[in-house]
Amino acid sequence: MGKAFDWLDEKFHIRAPHKRFLQRRLPAGLSYFYCLGGAAFTSYLILFISGALLSLYYVPSETEAYESILKIQREVHLGWLIRGMHKWSATLLIVFMLCHMLRVFISRAYKAPKELNWIVGCLTLVMVFASGFTGYLLPWDQKSYWATTVGTSMAATIPVAGRHLMYFIRGGMDVGGATLIRFYSFHVLWLPVTMAALLWAHFHMIKRQGIKGGL
Amino acid sequence: MTTRRDFLSGTVKSVIFAIVSGISAATAYFMYPAGLRTRQLVYCDCMDEDTLPRRGVKRAEYRFELKGKEITAGVFIVNHEGAVYALSPVCTHLGCLVNYNRHKDEFICPCHGGKYDTRGNVIAGPPPAPLTRLPMKVENGRVYIGIVLPAAA
Repeated sequence: MGKAFDWLDEKFHIRAPHKRFLQRRLPAGLSYFYCLGGAAFTSYLILFISGALLSLYYVPSETEAYESILKIQREVHLGWLIRGMHKWSATLLIVFMLCHMLRVFISRAYKAPKELNWIVGCLTLVMVFASGFTGYLLPWDQKSYWATTVGTSMAATIPVAGRHLMYFIRGGMDVGGATLIRFYSFHVLWLPVTMAALLWAHFHMIKRQGIKGGL
Repeated sequence: MTTRRDFLSGTVKSVIFAIVSGISAATAYFMYPAGLRTRQLVYCDCMDEDTLPRRGVKRAEYRFELKGKEITAGVFIVNHEGAVYALSPVCTHLGCLVNYNRHKDEFICPCHGGKYDTRGNVIAGPPPAPLTRLPMKVENGRVYIGIVLPAAA
């Protein structure tokens, strides 16, 4: 790399360890099925970038949310493309994660010492489902409104505390403006940050423990 | 002599560069506001030619439509030594509307005391520039004031 990178590396000292990591010998017997986790992470990155872009135009308000989605689709340059990428990467992320999970299960990579990695992966999957659920409300149309009404009402079936849990999730008795803002906050801030932390742990452990045995 | 390794590494770097530039360009395009309309000079009906001041300053009003709303704005029509022109009442300091003081023959801004003479030049106070002269034209006995508005959708 060029002089700019040399100057940065003088401060960060990242070249040597990364060269060691990126040019390491991979264990024999790997196949493209071992790329599914990477594919899922790529989907996460696309979601992160396209989501950051959509947040420039989306308005999380009861009266303006749907209008702002229409504006993104019709007026904003490439808005239809960015929103489409966000939507389809979200679907692909779940597909890739489930396939990745299946591969880990079949190759028995969930066993000790990688049991915590399996747990962290499962927590990430929960966060992804939560992101999907909260993101589904944001267009604020009939479909998303009723999907959220039905989805959150499931919490009420829990004995004793269920009803209060439902009110807690909705931020009120019914799905409304408070729910929209709540879901927006979780969708763009809490969940992505939590996922980033979980993914860091996931990748750090796999670097230390190796794809197959130790590295 | 180019080795296979150099060639592949160069290819990979070029592809990454192309992808990153493409994404950056698309991002910039996405962020650039859409639906910017061109602005154009519109002449608004203001007053009858006969009511133009023969001498001194006269406050007049004109109407125009913006975003579906009817807006009434004020303007000073000045006849200074035979030259007739229209002065915008918007103070060039912070945009307050100035008043004409007939006794002092000055435009005085109520906000920070900016003063202009009847030609619009600054006499005192903080304004950085003279009052804006608005384009004016007389057609079929009516006086029109020109203002810049976003072109109709």
